[in-house]
Amino acid sequence: MGIDLRIITFRDIFQYEAGKKSRFSPEFQNLSAQIIMDKDDMVQLGLKDGQNVCLENEMSKIVVKAIQTDDEPHPGLAFMTNSPWSNQLVKDNINDRIIPDFKAILVQASASNESVTNLAELLERLRH
Amino acid sequence: MAVCTGCSLLCEDIEVALKTGAIEKAKNLCRKGQGHFQALFSDRTVPSVEGGETSLDQAIEKAANILMNAKDPLLYGWSNSSLEAQKVGIELAKKLEAKIDDTSSFCQGQLLERVLKGELPSCTLDDVRNFADVSVFWGADPSNSHPRHLSRFSYYPRGSKRQKGYEEERNCVVIDVRKSSTAKLCSDYFRIPPGGDAEFAEAIIAILDGKMPRFGDKKRMIGLASIFKKADFGAIFPGLGLVYSLVQKMEIFENLVARLNDVSNYKVVPMVGHYNMRGFNELMLDETGYINQISFKNGVHHGSENSVTMAAKSSDACLVVGSDPLSALPFVIARSLAKSQLVVIDPRRSLTTDAAKVVIPSAMSGLESGGKAVRMDGVRISFEPIFESNLLSDEEILTRIMEAI
Amino acid sequence: MVSAMEIYQLLPQAACKECGYVSCMALAVALLSREKKLEDCPSLFDPKYADKLNKLKELLAPLEQASETGLIIHDEKCFGCANCVVACPVNVANDPTGSAIGLGPKSDKVILVIENGVVRCLNPNECRRFGPNRILCNACTATCPSKAIEFV
Ligand code: SF4
Ligand code: SF4
Ligand code: SF4
Repeated sequence: MGIDLRIITFRDIFQYEAGKKSRFSPEFQNLSAQIIMDKDDMVQLGLKDGQNVCLENEMSKIVVKAIQTDDEPHPGLAFMTNSPWSNQLVKDNINDRIIPDFKAILVQASASNESVTNLAELLERLRH
Repeated sequence: MAVCTGCSLLCEDIEVALKTGAIEKAKNLCRKGQGHFQALFSDRTVPSVEGGETSLDQAIEKAANILMNAKDPLLYGWSNSSLEAQKVGIELAKKLEAKIDDTSSFCQGQLLERVLKGELPSCTLDDVRNFADVSVFWGADPSNSHPRHLSRFSYYPRGSKRQKGYEEERNCVVIDVRKSSTAKLCSDYFRIPPGGDAEFAEAIIAILDGKMPRFGDKKRMIGLASIFKKADFGAIFPGLGLVYSLVQKMEIFENLVARLNDVSNYKVVPMVGHYNMRGFNELMLDETGYINQISFKNGVHHGSENSVTMAAKSSDACLVVGSDPLSALPFVIARSLAKSQLVVIDPRRSLTTDAAKVVIPSAMSGLESGGKAVRMDGVRISFEPIFESNLLSDEEILTRIMEAI
Repeated sequence: MVSAMEIYQLLPQAACKECGYVSCMALAVALLSREKKLEDCPSLFDPKYADKLNKLKELLAPLEQASETGLIIHDEKCFGCANCVVACPVNVANDPTGSAIGLGPKSDKVILVIENGVVRCLNPNECRRFGPNRILCNACTATCPSKAIEFV
């Protein structure tokens, strides 16, 4: 069973720093391949903090780590940094708007036993 | 003193003690700036063609070749290069009759254009520090994106008219969809639903017009409007949250700023991210009358078809300077770029350099090469290299490509 | 934050009184307030407690750096934003042309500075939470976006 989520991208200084040091580092992957979710949404999916969640839409499918928010409840909303991971899911039907929907990424989320999608896999997808 | 080119605050008070091949101690750099400086020592690029290491001369020759033979080349990046390099880049675009665009296209371009054309009132960050008693971060989280913004200019420092502490003399308002790091620090945080920016702005306008707001908690909204009215000098810092939400409704924001200026004095400083994005936009405006998205094919044409997000799919060759669009742009656009004849000038390895046909290593701007740049508020800042390096600057590389064409 | 209970659980719990206290819990409290050191518990240095000793060292490491004012810095959380540097009233008073106006400190009489991307405490004795006329200043913790400064 899955739920619908709207993902909004945000900036995180630690993720940025990791990406500056190396785009190919495990730190950058760890801090990018995660999604900050509402507690109730996680309960609905049977997810505990740090477990893997699959995010899927017509653009792509990725597996990332679910992190429970420390903010007030925001059911249906989730947050990811801008990275090659979140960008997998961003639609390109930009037409006149030019600006892709970085802050309105609609996905189906479900619990996942698969491992987190790694950078090598994303690079592979870029080549095909 | 060194200048940090880690973000568009271009902090000028950086002190660095060097030892061979490392930084012994850096003072006043924030974590983001520290990461930027440390980037000198990891993942540096080498000249390469088709994935194989070559000489610099061969890489430059191959780059010139690809660009010369392209039917519809796109020149993209620019916001991490000095003004000097950007100027050569624009000349190169003219010579190639190419499309040219920068990150502002999907970043602060819409607002910055209005500021540069004088349609939105703006001021310097030094004015903010000296005079502002209200700072508004709207869809922006400087603590993460411009870490020293609050401490250097917008909230905590003393200024000529703001001699007392921030608690007594300044209000900091954050309007955002999430309780960001900055929201946790500010005096007044307003949570809005995604896309609620227009209604929020309209509600404030309604209150200023003496009507009841139809959005949010009425009492708090009226309270905010009265903070706005009482201010001597207010500064609004719109971030990507506001830009993306108001894409085609920017006039609502303009109306709000105009109304606020009827009751007091309000300025807008867009939260430009990269250190010299504004510089590129200023140069382009002088040169073409537009800040970005230009094609020089048979004259000067402006339009969204020349934006990186559109042109990436149509162009057969692309020159990327100091940017990693394969990380930062949606996958489908990144894939088109990866499949084009991609030439990259970058000091560091990235997803984009890894996919490129030609990689030309450059000196890190601000660290290994000097130049000038324009801070987010329009102040020009010069910087000198602090490390010795044999690497060519973006400007020198672009000049050599020009000569080869 | 570390609790006395966490410390207690890693102590030998033998109530040998060699530290001068009647119970290990009392020592745990004293360790937390930095009145005693791990070396004050000789039994702990028995090889069979090696694991616990290591864990205790880890647990107490941040406390050890605590200056006499009880100020602890968590480097790994710090943004290096200098909000604390600029807001600290002692920095403002002693450094009117540097940290007071948002720039890097120009005086060596400041308490807080930014080095290598994170905050550092230079002159803890100047802190207003210290000395006979101490006050409960919290300018540095109140302006911190990430709880990187803490008082214990
Ligand atoms: S705020 Fe920006 S310019 Fe200033 S030190 Fe940090 S990254 Fe560098
Ligand atoms: S407690 Fe007050 S005086 Fe002491 S370091 Fe923090 S801000 Fe400065
Ligand atoms: S301790 Fe907090 S306020 Fe001070 S520099 Fe670090 S993150 Fe900023």
